[in-house]
Amino acid sequence: MTVTTRRNILGAAVAMTIGCTGLMPEAVAADYPAKPITMLVGYGAGGQTDLVARATARVMSADLGVPINVVNKPGAGGAVAASELEKSANDGYTLLFHSNSVVNSAPFIMKQVSFTPESFEYAGMITAYQVGLATQKDSPFSTLSEFVIWARENPGSSYGALSPEARLYIQEIAKKEGLDINIVPLKGGAGMMNALLGRQVVLAFSGGIHYRNPDELKTIASTTTFRHPSAPDARTIEEEGYPLGMDSRTTLFLPKGTDRAILDRLSAALKMAASDEEFKTFTASANIPIMYLDVDEAYKEMSATYTKHKGIMEAAGLTAQ
Amino acid sequence: MDHLMTGFMDVLNPGTILWVAAGVTLGYILGAIPGLGKATGVAVAIPLTFYLTPVAALGMLIGIAKGSAAGSAVSAILLNTPGEPSSAPTALDGYPLARQGKAQKALKMGLFASVIGDFVSTLILILLAAPLARYALLIGPVELCAILLFSLTFIGGLSGGSLTKGLIAAALGVFFATIGLETETFIPRLTFGLLELEDGISLVPMAIGMLAVAEMINQAGNMKALDRETSAISDSAAHEDRVITRVEWRRSLPVIARGTLIGSVIGILPGLGASVASFLSYGATKNASKTPEKYGTGMIEGVAAAESADNAVVPSSLVPLFALGIPGSVIAALLISAFVLHGLTPGPLMFQQQPRLVAAVYASMILASFIMLIIGYTCQRLFAQIIKVPLRLIIPGVLFLCCVGAYMETGSIFSIYVMLFFALIGFFSRKLDFSFVTFLIGFVIGPNLEFTFRQSIQLLGSDITNLKHHPISIVFIVLTLATAWWTGRSNSRKAVVK
Repeated sequence: MTVTTRRNILGAAVAMTIGCTGLMPEAVAADYPAKPITMLVGYGAGGQTDLVARATARVMSADLGVPINVVNKPGAGGAVAASELEKSANDGYTLLFHSNSVVNSAPFIMKQVSFTPESFEYAGMITAYQVGLATQKDSPFSTLSEFVIWARENPGSSYGALSPEARLYIQEIAKKEGLDINIVPLKGGAGMMNALLGRQVVLAFSGGIHYRNPDELKTIASTTTFRHPSAPDARTIEEEGYPLGMDSRTTLFLPKGTDRAILDRLSAALKMAASDEEFKTFTASANIPIMYLDVDEAYKEMSATYTKHKGIMEAAGLTAQ
Repeated sequence: MDHLMTGFMDVLNPGTILWVAAGVTLGYILGAIPGLGKATGVAVAIPLTFYLTPVAALGMLIGIAKGSAAGSAVSAILLNTPGEPSSAPTALDGYPLARQGKAQKALKMGLFASVIGDFVSTLILILLAAPLARYALLIGPVELCAILLFSLTFIGGLSGGSLTKGLIAAALGVFFATIGLETETFIPRLTFGLLELEDGISLVPMAIGMLAVAEMINQAGNMKALDRETSAISDSAAHEDRVITRVEWRRSLPVIARGTLIGSVIGILPGLGASVASFLSYGATKNASKTPEKYGTGMIEGVAAAESADNAVVPSSLVPLFALGIPGSVIAALLISAFVLHGLTPGPLMFQQQPRLVAAVYASMILASFIMLIIGYTCQRLFAQIIKVPLRLIIPGVLFLCCVGAYMETGSIFSIYVMLFFALIGFFSRKLDFSFVTFLIGFVIGPNLEFTFRQSIQLLGSDITNLKHHPISIVFIVLTLATAWWTGRSNSRKAVVK
């Protein structure tokens, strides 16, 4: 990945010449990329998003003809990395690969985070997170409405929540249906799997890793606006009558003011991942659906989800802490 | 079994053996260098796994994990600076041994205890993964809470001179662990508006500062005295100081067995990790000993207890991953990445989809145990020479590596500030004789205890009588009360005698 080809050197030389003679930025964009790109990732090495980022970087690097160096900057659900990107030069050589939740959800949960869709530029989205409500395979309910009936007959049941969103869902459902449910805090995907398989909770909010154990676990509803490709029969929470569907997707973020031509070039490289055989095998085995969006669609998705999630969280009385 | 034979055939070719050996060596060296460790190994290995065959990639990752767990004993014994927090108890007796000129003996015991713990735990994983993981699921938050409460009683045994000071240090450890997002309602605690503190204080930079940097500053302060000692003692020429005698084997084997058991069990349980295991094993060994007052002065059993438990955690923490798809540890999460990169879904499905690859992973784990023995045995003679090097040459290098290690985990300068802050605390705790071991126990166990307690409140429906459905936790609560009473009584007696 880090082999310096003659083309790169030439490109770098050209870029430097242009830089010195002070030509228009469009000319710079035409030569983009001329040197290695740094890709920030807001989670630690080895996590699911990090893996998607690295696999994406590999495909994009082949298409762009320059190395892409992945740098992990974990902290505060990606807000640390996003803050760093905000301060970076908008020349297209520093970008962030992260869930768009850092913009469309985090500001409503964390007081220190105040990003809006206008804080960054976007060069497309590639995969989606299959978040939903999961339970044991043999549990007496298979849909959300069946769960509501069951929970009404069995007050004091336990629900596992690993994030503020996870609490929001059950609180909203319980409020609307008048249910009595204990919310058990859980730590991360591993804690969630333990609690479900150990039958400590009857239902849990899952970020998607429960699909690793399809013999014992099932999805009763997706909390996204789309049905999960891994469980096409499970209805969405919106189909069940609660307008609470919230989507998050891995997104290529760039600093504010990045040239549109650069965004388009990156987006074209990102699109290569969607059809790359290795990338497809990898995402399939990790149960991560590929849902490519180009630059315009990414902007639209970002502002639409920002407005929607803001509405949902404010209506639920969630205040940023 | 048939699969295992095929697995060995897949692994026993020069290419794969080379990668496993490379992983073990890399891990062992990273582990032995203070400041660097698993976190660095991860950073190095992740991009590499893209380019290797699945078996080689997995073998290498397993090698790194196993190697770094064993290697961390080396710097604990020679420099009193554990390569990883889980080897902190190793230093308690290993370093005094080295200062007595018995460095080779301590290193050998550390290595053998590591290999035995690791090997037995690997066998447990291979033979009993599925049933064990089932039993582990019976240990829910309510039971875990009671077990953690009980493990806090070991602070009594590890406090050193003064129980009061030990408890104060432990309370400080708990305090620092409360910083960050509170896990039930997600309210930030004591973050002073710093985003970097939202996830809490990370164990790696904290431990590097507290254990390695503080110790280096401390030794720099005593440099003249230590140098004089170094030239006087160097490496003992007596044969019995270089090897483990038969008597020592007899005393240590039961200790290793207990350490392996504790390590294997802790590894399977969710969210505890190697540090808890080695502290518990050391504490239990000291409590069970007829001469507990000799611990900390160079008891070879102390090294055996800590290292066997530390290494037994690595294979057994893979049990929940293989049997149920739950990533129980850092290395398990790493392996998941290697699995999915090669198109394999980690979890129970692996056994149906790719039994051959799973068998190859098992085979490479056994292979890694043996390679670890060979590499460790070869390297320890070399490493033992460090004791002859004057400290003025060692300290700057170690401080540099500490900064690298702290920086590597988060890639941010903030981690280095965290390291420096805890170096100060660690330095004063040494000068004022507060135990940094109980501080670490508080730091590691405190947040888990709080979290499982809050889970338990919800699971028990805020009604304490519901505890009757959890007999295991009742047993541990009773044990805790009994131990606390006993420790308190013997402590007050000691005070009367004085």
